[in-house]
Amino acid sequence: MPLMRDVAIIGAGMIPFGRRYEDSLLDMLASASLKALDDAGLGNQSVDALYVANVGGGILQHQTAIASSLADRLSLLPAAAETIENGPASGSSAVKAGLLGIASGYYETVLVAGGEKMRAGDGAHTTDFASTMTHPQAEYPYGVTMPGLAGMFARLYMQKYNLTAEHLQAVSIKNHEMGALNPYAHFRKPINRQEIFDGPQAALHNPIVADPLRLYDLCPTSDGAAALVLSSVDVARKLGRPYVVIAGFGQATDTQTLAERADPTELKAVTLAAQQAFTQANLRPSDIHVAELHDAFTILEIAESECVGFFPKGAGGEAALKGQTRLGGSIPINISGGLKARGHPMGATGVAQIVEIVWQLRHELPENRQVPNAQTGLTLNFGGFANNVLCFILRRAEP
Amino acid sequence: MSELPLTAYRCKNCGHIHYPFHDRCLECRGREFEEIHPQGSARLLTYTAIFNLPYGFDQQSLILGIAEFENKVKALGQIKAQSVNQLKAGMTVKAVWEPIRSQPEGVVFGLKFEPLET
Repeated sequence: MPLMRDVAIIGAGMIPFGRRYEDSLLDMLASASLKALDDAGLGNQSVDALYVANVGGGILQHQTAIASSLADRLSLLPAAAETIENGPASGSSAVKAGLLGIASGYYETVLVAGGEKMRAGDGAHTTDFASTMTHPQAEYPYGVTMPGLAGMFARLYMQKYNLTAEHLQAVSIKNHEMGALNPYAHFRKPINRQEIFDGPQAALHNPIVADPLRLYDLCPTSDGAAALVLSSVDVARKLGRPYVVIAGFGQATDTQTLAERADPTELKAVTLAAQQAFTQANLRPSDIHVAELHDAFTILEIAESECVGFFPKGAGGEAALKGQTRLGGSIPINISGGLKARGHPMGATGVAQIVEIVWQLRHELPENRQVPNAQTGLTLNFGGFANNVLCFILRRAEP
Repeated sequence: MSELPLTAYRCKNCGHIHYPFHDRCLECRGREFEEIHPQGSARLLTYTAIFNLPYGFDQQSLILGIAEFENKVKALGQIKAQSVNQLKAGMTVKAVWEPIRSQPEGVVFGLKFEPLET
């Protein structure tokens, strides 16, 4: 379905992800938002509305109605404000809300912020928090976790397409290597192959977490926030510098339980969301210059790279192994380090993916992270275990 | 073999089997269902062992899997095995209804699968 008018991204900002014990959830959201507002050149102006993505405030911080708090804290009053909760896809859902608000002609400028503070509690409670998105009768009581669902998915996917640990390691190595170059990443250290994968201590440093997935197949638990300012193209043109246009978006859902999918290796919602986005953008997968995929688990980067259409089914693992998804490859994926190394503060992730693509398309990154002359980018952000997926396609626009 | 106290739902219009409950059929959106129970042995489709358990579990690890019963009901359950090395996709498992977790309000019962072959 075509949008009623084009929507631009004129501001992007984020704070380094990782352990941010000293910051409250609101501190993080406010810091990222101010960076995005300043980047958009809004100075002391307000916005018409703000959409704030957060999943765990009510559970982990005992704090609800986060968007109202942020509007107050940033002196954006009387701007309209909503908190958006859609599991790990909350960030993209907040961007979608802003997109529709501007595309409809109702708003001219919108702030979208996403943030999560996940390291405040102990690991068991944080794992339990993430598990609350599983089915309350058919999954949650059994103790299943998101890594557990990913482990069951990985076993099926690896069997079906003859993937080995080496294919998964290629994703992990690439994303840690890129994370080491990204000052906003949670993990800023390349993987020492001997220590983590090949040496005698590898099993100790990289233990099984959700068989067959090991520690270095999983994203970390992170604190962090990211923000964007969206506007009409009329507003964007007045800035007198390159900006980014949302060329297409798509969203699809799938069964809540993995067990009910006819073929659990098919990430149907990923495929559908991407197809919708490509149709709206009138582009093909081969037209995309850089992508941020939802690699909460290494297996997902491989599976998604196929569902989105970058590689044929079953070819994503070999493509990763051969370096096709690296900087300089046919389709650079997760040059930010991805969820694997940049981190995955749930509500922030979808926003952070788009922040990275905005920087790529404005050609603002250092040479060791910049995809040369990138004109188009794609983000894929999913909630639950691929049961609510959003995809955006972005393109560079000249003033 | 006694019937497992797990209720699945067969759409009266198209026959599609559901577990858990849906208000409308995932295939035809019909709203009338016949309640059915898992029948016979089950085939293990996939499995995992998890070592980072959520709050509410005291043990160090948990083996979980998805199995399909002879009457096509598919469900997640805990697996009664010492290690994933005892398991393989496609193997036959026997389902039992046993405690799966303890909560302050009491013990929660659910599906557990016992491997019948190695």
